Amino acid sequence: MAPYDGSVMDAALELTEVVKEFGGFRAVNGLSFSVRKGEIFGFLGPNGAGKTTTLRMILDIIAPTSGAISVLGAPSSRPQRARIGYLPEERGLYRKMRAAESIAYFARLRGAPAADAKRRAYELLDQFGLGEFARSRNEALSKGMAQKVQLLATIAHDPELLILDEPFSGLDPINQGALEDLIRSLKASGKTIIFSTHVMEHAERLCDRFMIIAKGEKRFEGTLEEARADQPQRITLRTPAAAADLAGIDAVAQVAPLGDPAEGAAMNGHAAMDYQIDLKDGADPDAFLAACVAAGVAVRRFDASSASLHDIFVSLAGEEGQ
Amino acid sequence: MGSTLLIAWREYKQYVFSRGFLLFLIMTPVLFLGAVLIMSVVDKARPQRTFVIVDQTGGYTELIDAGLEKQHLRETLQSWSAYLNVAVDPDKSAVEDLPEPFGAEPITNERLEAVASGGGVAAAAAAVAPYLKDDVAPFQAPRPRFRRLEAPQAALAAEDAEGAAAALEPYLLGERALPGAEGELFAAVIIPSGFGDDANTEDDAPPQAAFWSKNVTDPTLQIAVSRALRSALRRQAAANLGLAGADLNRLADIEAPITAFTPGEANVEAAEIDDADRLEKIILPGVMTYVLLVVVFAVGNPLLTNTIEERSNKIVEVLLSSVTADQLMSGKLIGIAAVGLTMPTIFLVGGFLASAFGATEADALRETMAALIRSNLLFVYFFYFLAAYVIFAMIFLAIGALSNSLQDAQTFMGPLMMVVFAPMPFAVMVFQNPNGLAASILTWIPIYTPYAVMLRIASDPPMWEILGATALMLVFAGLVSRVMGRVFRNNILNNAPPKVTEIWRLTKREA
Repeated sequence: MAPYDGSVMDAALELTEVVKEFGGFRAVNGLSFSVRKGEIFGFLGPNGAGKTTTLRMILDIIAPTSGAISVLGAPSSRPQRARIGYLPEERGLYRKMRAAESIAYFARLRGAPAADAKRRAYELLDQFGLGEFARSRNEALSKGMAQKVQLLATIAHDPELLILDEPFSGLDPINQGALEDLIRSLKASGKTIIFSTHVMEHAERLCDRFMIIAKGEKRFEGTLEEARADQPQRITLRTPAAAADLAGIDAVAQVAPLGDPAEGAAMNGHAAMDYQIDLKDGADPDAFLAACVAAGVAVRRFDASSASLHDIFVSLAGEEGQ
Repeated sequence: MGSTLLIAWREYKQYVFSRGFLLFLIMTPVLFLGAVLIMSVVDKARPQRTFVIVDQTGGYTELIDAGLEKQHLRETLQSWSAYLNVAVDPDKSAVEDLPEPFGAEPITNERLEAVASGGGVAAAAAAVAPYLKDDVAPFQAPRPRFRRLEAPQAALAAEDAEGAAAALEPYLLGERALPGAEGELFAAVIIPSGFGDDANTEDDAPPQAAFWSKNVTDPTLQIAVSRALRSALRRQAAANLGLAGADLNRLADIEAPITAFTPGEANVEAAEIDDADRLEKIILPGVMTYVLLVVVFAVGNPLLTNTIEERSNKIVEVLLSSVTADQLMSGKLIGIAAVGLTMPTIFLVGGFLASAFGATEADALRETMAALIRSNLLFVYFFYFLAAYVIFAMIFLAIGALSNSLQDAQTFMGPLMMVVFAPMPFAVMVFQNPNGLAASILTWIPIYTPYAVMLRIASDPPMWEILGATALMLVFAGLVSRVMGRVFRNNILNNAPPKVTEIWRLTKREA
């Protein structure tokens, strides 16, 4: 996929300077971002960052205090509800309803004709291995099966835009893998998917682009490569040298010991410890290594691998992301 | 189907097709018929009371026997009248045209004597036989409720009342049995010598008859004996005054000719009050007010529990991403209102079918259905049901939106129920005086208006008062819908129930 160029001509979703206040508390503060049609978009942020509030505004469940939201080309998601599927973070089913009936009911609420909704409910249950539970009451399903039914109820009306709030929570690793496959297959069939998650590995594997939000404000929007490019080159270095010696090297912007020196010595068996070193913009890791050797710094371990999404998340979300 | 109707249909289906509702539909008529059946069985299974008389005057035993026999004949003729209403073929004769005294005329002393002297029940059955339906069962006279046994010799031989009582005690306690008695002796009547003598009437303490029985809860025999003795004493006094027994009968049969009327409105004739009026103006409004109260709260409860389920099971957010809070609310209101209308409609349709095609025993039902059609009670019921329903359903919805569990809801339901049932002590006052002060006050309090109007409507309350109170109630219902709707919308997605002090904030437009 071509890097995002900021154009919103093909946006499935666009938020412009959206603000939401509850009483005197500003939960979302001037949020602007857009999601392109056909992409998987990660919506990341620590607890209380404003993710759910933003998703509720996108879905027109609550109104923004100010700002504009465009969903599939319309100023409100309400008239587009047949084209949108939403799986909230906190989700449930009517206990006495049957599995197929639940899927068909929510599909019909989203505008699917009765016969289509029913047929699709049985098809999806068969496809996801729950065919034999189609007529079981929801209260008789296991937690994992109930979560599958909830997910199927989200996609049964064949929406173009899927908004999944923490879709992996509560699923075992096997079902998490199956859900990842489903999300990929939905993307392959042309759907746009927005999902929020706390598990960065899912986002890293799935997202074309992502956004990080903290304290109601956007901290980053773009691809993983763009996020990495924005991050300083970070090196993990194990050496007996003192931090001050490292800080004296020309390319170094910042040196931070990783853990307690005594602990580090005990752990690796000699008087060396690990440092996290941020290089100055444009500095080359190989040149830094050469400068270390030239300065007489004994290098026991050198790691200049790219920042993970987890690192980026922690870095961008700040203290809230710890 | 629109989203609102889809939600309404789901709510309706969930309750109407539930086992509980079907059970309710089946149980209601079964319990009603069961109660009628049990009453009938209890009546038939009532034990025959045995008693003895120790008459130390020698003149009252036969009079008591005659009095009890007359009472039994009176009860028999009451059953006979009911039997004729069912058994007589209207093509052959009207009940009123049956040969006297075996028709369904009023039961007077004169008629009792005429029936007794005319051959009793056997003669009556023979006299009306040509007019009965072909397949009708023969009349069965009720069993006499009392049977007199011969008193034991020891009691009869006693010199005074105390001695007789002492002799009877083992029989009354069940320690000894009299010949022919099925169980223990129920009662003994001791009439001391000198009882009823004129010479004694001026004494300070005239001899008194004594009624002995271990059973203190069933006074029927005591009343019957007392009545027979009173009648005997009156006859004796009348004879002393030179009146014949027949004259006394005629005196006793005299009824004051009085008819109850209700004044008509302008240009409407005053009308006589009959049983149908009483049904239409008193009984049905009372019953329908009770049903209104029960049904409004019976169907309000599902709104509360279902909203709590949607909140606690986290269904509500999915719903609100598909429909607006107003659509969700409206769907619930419509669905459950339909449940509330279904209950009486099923019984009404059942009642009409039973009265149209049912057996002649369904006369009371037919009269009830006719009164419902003739009056405006059904219209009033359904109108005020919807009004009361909107008021209380919106309150229930808001309470549901404020609660995560039934326990949370109880915090609000307790005070609400106290307010709702506060005027119950005054309901009797409204019932007895439908246009009195209590009735007027309750009518003007919007949450009580539906019940007060239902109770009063057949008693021609001032029209301005009903229209004014109804208008006030509708405004109140609109206000409640608005405020409770805001509470619902503002809190339905909040995870934690709000503090009581925060509820005021939720009633404002933007919480």
